[in-house]
Amino acid sequence: MVAQASDVAQVLEIDIRGQICPSCLLIALKEVNQRQARLKSGEEVLHILTDNRQATNTIPESVGNMGYQTAIEKIGGYYCIEIRK
Amino acid sequence: MQADYAPIILTSLLCGLSAGFLMHRSDFCVTGMFRDFFLFKDARMLRVLVFMVVASMALFHVAKVLGLIAHYPFPLLGAMSLTNILGGVLFGIGMVLAGGCVVGTLYKMGAGSMLSAVAFVGLLAGSAFYAQIHPAWSALTQQLAVFGPGKTIPQALGLSPYALIVPVLAAGGWLVWRWARQGALVMPSYAEGYIQPWMTAVLLAGVGLASYIVVGMPLGITTSYAKLGATVQSWFAPDHVASLSYFQAQGLKYVPPFGDTVITGGAGPALDAVAAIQYPLVGGIIFGAMVSAVKLGEWKLRYRVPARQYVSVLIGGILLGLAARMVPACNVWHLWGGVPILAGQSVLYVIGLLPGTWIGSVILARYVVRTA
Repeated sequence: MVAQASDVAQVLEIDIRGQICPSCLLIALKEVNQRQARLKSGEEVLHILTDNRQATNTIPESVGNMGYQTAIEKIGGYYCIEIRK
Repeated sequence: MQADYAPIILTSLLCGLSAGFLMHRSDFCVTGMFRDFFLFKDARMLRVLVFMVVASMALFHVAKVLGLIAHYPFPLLGAMSLTNILGGVLFGIGMVLAGGCVVGTLYKMGAGSMLSAVAFVGLLAGSAFYAQIHPAWSALTQQLAVFGPGKTIPQALGLSPYALIVPVLAAGGWLVWRWARQGALVMPSYAEGYIQPWMTAVLLAGVGLASYIVVGMPLGITTSYAKLGATVQSWFAPDHVASLSYFQAQGLKYVPPFGDTVITGGAGPALDAVAAIQYPLVGGIIFGAMVSAVKLGEWKLRYRVPARQYVSVLIGGILLGLAARMVPACNVWHLWGGVPILAGQSVLYVIGLLPGTWIGSVILARYVVRTA
């Protein structure tokens, strides 16, 4: 299950639904890199909203290799991928 | 329509429905397979594609040995020319900018992607526009012809097909067997209703075989884009459409396996053999993907995306449509039709597709998906 806002300091939501492939992975990687310090310290978690089925395995794979934890939940026809330390 | 068309229309429709459903479940995007290799050094899906080519090669030739194949090589293949490579380069750029190739665009559109619907319009426009440059392009194709009149590599070398097919199949089979043992063909899956892409690869190879046996050739859809484009154009400018030689030509002329008369077809607006084979396939892929998405509760029209992505898919779609006529044909026709019988055009096309996809990936990452 992905975290609710109350569980952590801050949830940053990034909506990539409907966008051209591979926006999901490119944008997820950019956000993760830009927010490295806040993510690693646990101040922030990222929620990537996507309707791209492939992204549910490419994003966890890529950010997993960078040392982050991921959780995936299907919410009303799309997927929320949580990225945290 | 003659009675001969019934088995063709039915088979194409069933092939399209099952392909659309499977592609949506596995997100079986050929564009993504090549693009992610260049963009992320991720070759996992590309291995699945190789598996599909090898599986098709094995199935087609077992069927040929059993006497189930009426036409070998199949109709619509031509002699080799360097223009096949040039077309492949443009196709590669176009498919990355369009977010999917000629078939990928269909299943994504069926699942509710507005971007793919715009790419589809671009594809129709680009395919129909090709008719304007066809005389010049076909003259260039003849000038740049290579390896003589043979349609397959074995034919061009004066060999029996098996002299090359058997060693290639053995090498490909060994490669796939190694990947399978390493578990390199299995994708982790989190999407609901996910079907492992390797399984879809096997099933799609079977779908291609069914088409080859009943229709007389593997799956192909690109001529119908020009046909649909010509149809729309003929509502506004019928005389102009009638004046273009490309829309008059009857490139397809063959006796289907379950028929006894010659049927013909071309890119013009007429409801001919090309329409009977390809329109049900196009409609089937769109509808099959829609059924898959609706069943998962994932169908939703999504159109709120950055404007530059709309520009990208429109330009990409036009380029893709144009390239699909220049090559001629597309990923599906060449990768799970032509390459499995070592068709010369198909091999040259792939040689062009690789640098084209790389160029497209660079443009996409730099100008379309802004991450800077």
